[in-house]
Amino acid sequence: MRRIGFSTGAIAKGDFLSALASLRVFGIPVVELSALRLEELDHLVESLPLLDLDGFEFVSFHAPSQFPVKHERYVIDQLRAVVDRAIPVVVHPDVISTPEAWVALGSQLLIENMDKRKSIGRTARELADLFCRFPDAGLCFDIGHARQVDPTMTEARLILEAFGERLREIHASEVNTSSRHDPLSVYAMFAFHSVSSLIPESVPVVLETLIDQGQSDILTEIERARKALDPQWVRAAG
Amino acid sequence: MPILNPSDMASPASGGWVERLEHQLGANWAAIRGARRATAEKRLALRQAFERNIASDTSLVVFGSIAREEMTSGSDSDWILLVDGQAQPEHSEQRHAIAAEFDRLGFQKPGRSGVFGCMVGSHDIVHEIGGEDDTNSNTTRRVLLLLESLPVGNREAYDRVRRQILKRYLHDDRGLTRATRTSRVPRFLLNDLTRYWRTVTVDFVYKQRADANGKWALRNAKLRMSRKLVFASGLLRCFFCELEPWAQEARERLALPSNDISGLLIYMERELSQTPLELLARAASRPSVNRLTQRKLFDSYDRFLAILDDPQKREALERMAQADMASSAVWEEIRQISHAFQSGLKEVFFGDDEGLRKLTTDYGVF
Repeated sequence: MRRIGFSTGAIAKGDFLSALASLRVFGIPVVELSALRLEELDHLVESLPLLDLDGFEFVSFHAPSQFPVKHERYVIDQLRAVVDRAIPVVVHPDVISTPEAWVALGSQLLIENMDKRKSIGRTARELADLFCRFPDAGLCFDIGHARQVDPTMTEARLILEAFGERLREIHASEVNTSSRHDPLSVYAMFAFHSVSSLIPESVPVVLETLIDQGQSDILTEIERARKALDPQWVRAAG
Repeated sequence: MPILNPSDMASPASGGWVERLEHQLGANWAAIRGARRATAEKRLALRQAFERNIASDTSLVVFGSIAREEMTSGSDSDWILLVDGQAQPEHSEQRHAIAAEFDRLGFQKPGRSGVFGCMVGSHDIVHEIGGEDDTNSNTTRRVLLLLESLPVGNREAYDRVRRQILKRYLHDDRGLTRATRTSRVPRFLLNDLTRYWRTVTVDFVYKQRADANGKWALRNAKLRMSRKLVFASGLLRCFFCELEPWAQEARERLALPSNDISGLLIYMERELSQTPLELLARAASRPSVNRLTQRKLFDSYDRFLAILDDPQKREALERMAQADMASSAVWEEIRQISHAFQSGLKEVFFGDDEGLRKLTTDYGVF
């Protein structure tokens, strides 16, 4: 059975303790600790040794998605502390200004494919350029981003076929035209399902669907993702 | 599957099939080469004008001779602002700015039909294929987006929309993925391309009646040559899905239990980035097509472009009344070259090559 969990930021923005508590209630096995905003980074990194993560089978860490270039060294230093705890770090490639400095994160660096607002990392071709520079890095495949870039899911297929061996984590959500992460609609589920056979069951799935304002709930979203990524789903659903 | 990006394959002008054929035949297709040079200059001017001036989720798309690499001195400019995203107030401003820029760069204005020179949302183009809401304008834009279009500047919306259109044609064609099917010609697409061509020919007569003095001879010449070429290239794009060895993997994927159309979709994107003349030259380069056929096709097309590039002859065609045809030397020239071109096409599709002959017989009419 697929391991599916949540990003702490999707459940409670900036309040990872509450988010972790919510996930523990349901015995959710996967969590991504979100420091999407730079101001969240220090507190989350400092808290890491104190967090009770034992119940989670897979834990990852999302690096800030935006920060001034002058803070890049500092951010990397902070992320090293995360990697030292054997926690992989998901990074948006457009924040990388000094590639050689990020290479130090080694195989714990997970590069995420981008939404259509960004100018790199959106397609298989653009990812190939990145993986040339980061040969040890893994892929965090954001299936919602891939669908936004190409609603036919052809690009998603190309990415998975080209970089399936690097696949370490899936991000799932419905990415709307404003690039916001919404709960999964049935249409997003159908789209995701069309490439589900290319995603090994062992790869953990992190939901980024925003439910912090009551848009949906943890179990509903996990169930939707489970169906969408089950290659047998449509046939079983008749 | 290799990572293919259609934007990387959109440069058919550099040493392509036409050039190879010209060399093999010892021909001199100066007008074709001249049109390519003129197109390259115009494209550069457009690129410089619009490179960073197209809003996100929109693409400026040009059609016609500039997309086919067939620009001559009198070529007009058909364009749309393709919008694939949220409606934004600035889209309207952008449309006016584009029209002004085309004017400043010396392009002739788009035709008066309203099909071009405007802002077009992606939804109808993708969703209204067939049915009452698939208007003449919608069909024209959709088919020409596939067969003779070029994005200028930001191409993301263009690539997205074109891929969605292709997906509709391939995904909705249930027979295409049937395991028992013996050939893999995308029939839904083929039928729509054929419908478009027949519509163009019927509308030609309609316009002749509605606008008696309106460039009848020039329209007729284009119908016999460039419009026919575009249709022929559409047929070839469909037939190559079945004939080309490098579409083999894509064909095999169709027959998988997953009915995977992605391989054929990527293959077709690559095909669509080739100009109609390149496609025709590729077909004419098939081993069984004879030299006479090759010469007929490309000598005639070269002469056609030379006529369009000759201001006097072009003007004569633009002003010609039906009553003057019989005594017009230019019209007689058009007549001769269009007959040669038609004869060459017949030999490619119905004569010389067994593969093309069989597919044309099986799919071309009934």
